[in-house]
Amino acid sequence: MKRYGEHRFPGKLFVVEGIDGSGKSTQLMLLHQWLQAEGYGTVFSEWNSSPLVRDTTRRGKKKQMLTPATFSLIHATDFADRMEHNIIPLLKAGAVVLCDRYIYTAFARDVVRGMDPQWVRELYGFAVRPTVAFYFRVALDVAMKRILDGRAGVKFYEAGMDLGLSEDPEDSFGIFQGRILEAYDKMVAEFDLTVVDATLPIEDQQTQMRQIVRAKLAQAKRLRVAP
Amino acid sequence: MRETYGVVLPGMNLADLTGKLIVIEGTDGVGRSTQINLLKPWLEQQGRAVLDTGVSRSALAGKGIKQAKEGHTLGRITLGLFYATDFANRLEDEIVPALRAGFVVLTDRYIYSLMARAIIRGIDPAWIRSAYSFAIKPDAVFYLRIGVDDLIPRVVFSRGFDYWESGMDLHPSEDMYESFRKYQMSMLAQFDTLAQEYGFEVIDATPDIRTVFERLRSGIARVLSGEPREPLFAVPTPPAERAEAPEPRPAETPALGEPAVGAEKQPESAPHALAKAAEGDSSR
Repeated sequence: MKRYGEHRFPGKLFVVEGIDGSGKSTQLMLLHQWLQAEGYGTVFSEWNSSPLVRDTTRRGKKKQMLTPATFSLIHATDFADRMEHNIIPLLKAGAVVLCDRYIYTAFARDVVRGMDPQWVRELYGFAVRPTVAFYFRVALDVAMKRILDGRAGVKFYEAGMDLGLSEDPEDSFGIFQGRILEAYDKMVAEFDLTVVDATLPIEDQQTQMRQIVRAKLAQAKRLRVAP
Repeated sequence: MRETYGVVLPGMNLADLTGKLIVIEGTDGVGRSTQINLLKPWLEQQGRAVLDTGVSRSALAGKGIKQAKEGHTLGRITLGLFYATDFANRLEDEIVPALRAGFVVLTDRYIYSLMARAIIRGIDPAWIRSAYSFAIKPDAVFYLRIGVDDLIPRVVFSRGFDYWESGMDLHPSEDMYESFRKYQMSMLAQFDTLAQEYGFEVIDATPDIRTVFERLRSGIARVLSGEPREPLFAVPTPPAERAEAPEPRPAETPALGEPAVGAEKQPESAPHALAKAAEGDSSR
């Protein structure tokens, strides 16, 4: 079992991180479009999407039976399934893999929920270190406005309601996201995250992102597939 | 106050867990559940409330694990973490509340089997230990030990070989018999290592059900009365080591004249405790 940082694969792994409403998913979608148009074999993997674990996660969330420990472990299980079945084989085959959220999401959320920081880091020790981890940094009020304008409401765990921060879901969401933002900021140096100012115009952020990705792909084996 | 093997989960209060946590460990087919089915009514007859629990029985993840094991796409790290999720759910929702209410918790396997399975599948031992470091240290672990040659007939003449218990995910080219043998031998070797590390009380599981039950019963009676562990059940240590008790004996007990059974390290109350242990079984 290889540990974080020990993996050496021909493929490239780009991940986006940031609080809800930071615009990271939009940026990753734009990057995906561009990479495909350029002819790279590109695969997208989303947080919390393993078919093997889905029913269990759904059961836990629906019945609100997840504690910080089981929340953490079930997400790690989901991530492990994607790592073992998708991400590692794809990287071995030389693909460009794009992840919307990665282990840093777990580090931020689980630690805010009270899990031991070192324990969570060790738990995800089997993960591959990304080629670049983009962190879309945005002020809390900007992100909150984006989320709350665009959606009917926030879900129980998304708002951190399990922590008993506030009776009001929107208040709880604000406090919870604020703590996650702090956790992300602390991880920038620890994991060498590439910070993108998520308040810039969308096109400017995308230009920045493509420049960084292009530089990494230039050194890579050019695995091109027909678009 | 109770301890864990490392981290303490958020919201888990380890104070006032007055119940007893007793683990029955052992490989597949050794008779763990048979013994638990005998132990539970025996304890209840004495007025002890019992919770019995076991691997992949959690409300959260039990079903998911069973489904995932039916397909053969389950990765080794994924399976390890799925079991950890199941364990955390049972620890928080069943085991700890029962211990707080003063129950005797009898658990069919604990973290040790799960670690052994993961380790023989190539998982980093340090990683799996860390993952399970939130587990509460039990009051006792009784390890039902059996050799592979005694184990095979039991399995063949009862339920037959199971895909996972035969490690078919590890030796897909072998026939089930050979694979079972290989897999169980690696499991037994892992258990022996874990027995040393975690201080299991080893019980020979080759005799008949009744004899094993009687041995388990006297071990459990001892744990419930709060008496220190008898050397009888300890992992055998070479006689040379045994003679050198870590705690200096009082001068009036000549080391050479000591009977083998009393030579284990014991607190000052040892003679009293041993006397009680001797009469313990018949008085119940």
